[in-house]
Amino acid sequence: MQQKKAAVYRQGIYVLIGLAILTILEFVVSGATNGSAPLLFIIALIKTGLIANYFMHIYRLWREESH
Amino acid sequence: MSAVVSREHAAPHHGAHEHEHHEVPYAVALRANRLGLWVFCFSELFLFGALLASRFALWGNTRPELSQGLGLITTSVLLLSSFFMARAESAIAHDDRPTFLRSLLWTVGLGTLFFIGVVVMEWNVFGLEANLLGIELFGHLKLTDGAFGAIFFGMTGVHAIHVLSGIILILIVWNNGRRGHYNAEQHWGVEACAVYWHYVDVVWVFFYPALYLIGQAVHL
Repeated sequence: MQQKKAAVYRQGIYVLIGLAILTILEFVVSGATNGSAPLLFIIALIKTGLIANYFMHIYRLWREESH
Repeated sequence: MSAVVSREHAAPHHGAHEHEHHEVPYAVALRANRLGLWVFCFSELFLFGALLASRFALWGNTRPELSQGLGLITTSVLLLSSFFMARAESAIAHDDRPTFLRSLLWTVGLGTLFFIGVVVMEWNVFGLEANLLGIELFGHLKLTDGAFGAIFFGMTGVHAIHVLSGIILILIVWNNGRRGHYNAEQHWGVEACAVYWHYVDVVWVFFYPALYLIGQAVHL
């Protein structure tokens, strides 16, 4: 139980690091490409994927068990 | 949602089978609640999508010159708040109540900071001017600055209302949690609140580049 809990907390930290890296990447890409909309929206979609999957647990919608 | 909430609240006081005959089984209600919440989230997409479409229709490949440092800081604060909300949900799922309550308070604190960052500092409601390490701390865009002002205040304003309502919801969940509600098996109230908060975060994931990063900066 303790190990499982620690693993879940660790996963949250990894997702946060991923989101931080992508946010910095957005900032850099904006400066380098004069604000390219397609590139910045691709990065935003990746960030959304991370949040929807790991934080919002969207997969629970089509899962039988409870929490 | 009511069936699940009533079971969550009733759990500490009643036997497990007391209301079984009159209520929808928890797992069934949970599935329906989840679907309902996601339908609500998708319905909100029309509102935020319309605002985003207006931005591209009226601004095109331009944007007003905003404080890049302030935008990056507020965005980071909101992402960090999402991390703590996810941590709170994981904590109650493992019956770790102290971490659950602490993480909720962190989420509220960071959400409030984001709200202040946008409404007080970026909107500059007090007309202040300050710099910290080269970062412009207060915005200069006004509501009367034509399409730039209308879109910027419209998008950030509608989002800020959602942030504020999210903070109130989290405080309600925190108060319930403090009084012993929710456990590892039954915590729909926490899950619903977390999904809503992350949704507000996802909206900002698109609003941030649309307002601060995409297109050529125009000095007003």
